[in-house]
Amino acid sequence: MGMKTRAGGGQETGDKWEVQLRKGCLELAILAALWDGKLYGLEILQRLESDSDLVVSEGTVYPLLSRLKTLELLRSEWVESDGGHPRKYYALTPGGRQRAREMAAIWTRFSASMDGLLAPVAKGK
Amino acid sequence: MTTSGDAQQKVEAYLDRLRQRLRGMNGGDVREIVEELRSHITEKAAMGGEVNAASVDATIARLGAPEELASQYLTDDLLARAQVSRSPLRILEGLFRWASLSVAGFFSLMGTLLGYFLGTTFALSALLKTIHPHTAGLWSIPDGAGDYEFSLRMGFGSAPVGGREMLGWWIVPAGLFVGCGLMVLTSRFALWCVREYRRSHALPRRSP
Repeated sequence: MGMKTRAGGGQETGDKWEVQLRKGCLELAILAALWDGKLYGLEILQRLESDSDLVVSEGTVYPLLSRLKTLELLRSEWVESDGGHPRKYYALTPGGRQRAREMAAIWTRFSASMDGLLAPVAKGK
Repeated sequence: MTTSGDAQQKVEAYLDRLRQRLRGMNGGDVREIVEELRSHITEKAAMGGEVNAASVDATIARLGAPEELASQYLTDDLLARAQVSRSPLRILEGLFRWASLSVAGFFSLMGTLLGYFLGTTFALSALLKTIHPHTAGLWSIPDGAGDYEFSLRMGFGSAPVGGREMLGWWIVPAGLFVGCGLMVLTSRFALWCVREYRRSHALPRRSP
């Protein structure tokens, strides 16, 4: 029984770790999604879901967009849609572009070093 | 795209609750948040065709309860602003808003208030020593039962009977150092609370 409890705890820790990992990538993922041009909230969410494994809740993304705007990494503008309601589009500021570049460089370096370290673990399965 | 009256009412009720919870934030920011979410709900709920009560409910459920969502906005706002300025007033302002929404916010505010209060007391007694050289400072005062108690005094009024001042002029550098140190540590504590809260709440989740 004790074993079972421990195994359950391990699973939970693994899930938690995965959640933290995804959450840690969210800012970079949003900046990257906006690299090619402006998008509005729902488009950003769809882009994150289709182009990445990052399935995130709307309740997390919208406040984060607002924070990135306060930090002047993003700017926003309202555009009237065909459907008749306005949409709030986000675009990278020069600072946001710079930040995305820096974060992407760190990510690439980090993941390359992790890949090397993980190669034997992956082979072992 | 058609929207039933019932669905429209649900949207407005949700946005009203959110607007109330965001009270205290800049009015323009609140309007932007509410309009952006209105646009989101309207468009997302219409993806299956008609906007009805059920599709609005499902969309709103994915956004989360208004209290939770408002907490996200307020803590994110606090973090972003703290990155620009770590003024205790700014941090307290954000914590006051957050405290009205969550227990975590309430306790963070209490701890932060205590820290700032202690820091201010040390710094003030150091500064007032220059005005009240004979009465301000750190005093040890006999409590009558053979023990001593320590008192950080601002120097208003007369010196305590039987008391002994312990640091003399050293209270000026020591008080300023401890006071400023406490202020900085308290700000760090407040931001740590906010980050921990953000880390444990509103986690990314898989689509149902």
